[in-house]
Amino acid sequence: MDYTVRDGDGVREVFLKGQLTFEADDDFRKIIGGMEKDRTGAGVPEMVLDMAGLDFIDSAGLGLLVLANNTANRCQVRLKMRGPRGQVREMIEISEFHTLIPCDF
Amino acid sequence: MDSAAIDTRSTGLRALVGRPTRRGAARLARWLATLGLRHVDVAAGGEEVLALAGRRPDLVLLDSGLADGRLIARLRAQAGMAEVPVLMIGRFAGPRERARILALGATDVIDRPATLAEVAARLRVHVENRSLDRSLREVIRSLQGFHTDTVERMKVARGMQLALLPSESLRGELQRRYGVRLDHHFESSSELGGDLWGARALGPERFAVFLCDFTGHGVAAALNTFRLHALMARIELPGDDPAAMLEALNGLLAGLLPETQFATMLYAVVDTAADRLTYATAGAPRPLVGTPDGGTVVGESVGWPLGVSPRATYRNREMAFPPGSFLFLFSDALYESRDWEGRPFGYEGVQELLRWSSHEHEGENVLAVLLERYFAVMPRPLADDLTAIWIGRKRD
Repeated sequence: MDYTVRDGDGVREVFLKGQLTFEADDDFRKIIGGMEKDRTGAGVPEMVLDMAGLDFIDSAGLGLLVLANNTANRCQVRLKMRGPRGQVREMIEISEFHTLIPCDF
Repeated sequence: MDSAAIDTRSTGLRALVGRPTRRGAARLARWLATLGLRHVDVAAGGEEVLALAGRRPDLVLLDSGLADGRLIARLRAQAGMAEVPVLMIGRFAGPRERARILALGATDVIDRPATLAEVAARLRVHVENRSLDRSLREVIRSLQGFHTDTVERMKVARGMQLALLPSESLRGELQRRYGVRLDHHFESSSELGGDLWGARALGPERFAVFLCDFTGHGVAAALNTFRLHALMARIELPGDDPAAMLEALNGLLAGLLPETQFATMLYAVVDTAADRLTYATAGAPRPLVGTPDGGTVVGESVGWPLGVSPRATYRNREMAFPPGSFLFLFSDALYESRDWEGRPFGYEGVQELLRWSSHEHEGENVLAVLLERYFAVMPRPLADDLTAIWIGRKRD
């Protein structure tokens, strides 16, 4: 998985690309780590995971989304998903993850 | 380190020196001792060289006076001597002569006259190679030992895991009692897997079947299957109501599983009196249902995987399931696994395969036919654990 980050106006957009699987663990945890507040208490109020570039997710990938959601709740970050397609959308719908993390389809 | 000495780690090595005379050989041995090699066997003449080679030297240094082809060949033929460095020291007529000696099986030649420093430098290379080789072999041996132990332990664990699945006698009993054919396939991507399936009688006309797939595979996922199996043995669980069953299991698992681990599950109840299939899913793949007229229907599947949140609720879905119908359940490995070109098999691929096998082989072991064709194009081992269950109601 590759990703790029765009910060602006109180929203961090993370554009995910490729496959969200166990191999993406390190990178995705870095993204999640970005939700933690720094020493001054400053942090990201909202994070959008843009999934248009993802073409595959497996159960380990869903596990990372659960981790992201738990971290977002703890750090009071509004977490959203956006634009999943194909197999990724199918997996999110089957496992109802859009009711866990709001999703713009 | 003294340039004329050999690394002291090598001093545990055994050397064998051979010269035509004992006195000459002893002189060579003293040289080696100066270089730090303590275990040196001294041989006078070819026969003694061969006899002492039985002590398995790590290095052999021979005088060129013993350099007839037969001695080196016989030395090499002895047990454990094929790879041992054999060095010839002496006066050689020229490059041709040196080449001949090497062709006879010597590892290296040292031209006289040579200073002690020169000999040391040449020997050091061979001795160090040899001790490296020896420690490598020790590492390999210890790894092999570890591997054998692990394989044995895994074999026992795998047996325990297979024992969690319905026994042949239970399968036979369900088939007779409910007029169904029940086939299954359980294949882990490594020794242990994260899948579990089960079936049980609920009454004279109803039975339940489930398939559960924990995140990941291997030992951690397998431990979770044992957890689930133990939880499902609890009698107070609402086994005849799929949605309530999933809610109850979720409630139990949510507190037990680590943050990133969960399970997808489908729990179904087949009612042979009402000709009805009731099921609920927790993030499980959509089930495929075959109708008596030869069609296939994709069942709905929506629901949080088990263990994600204690707040999860599930819904029951109902489908007609008259005689001649079948239910096909499988873990996601069936469509997510990739072929030789790296392309996933795909859910559509599964549907197509099922249509073909259930149409062409009705009344036979459809699952076996289907999987035979599947594995003709899919390389083993799969990247994830595969479980597939086929339940067909016999026609009246």
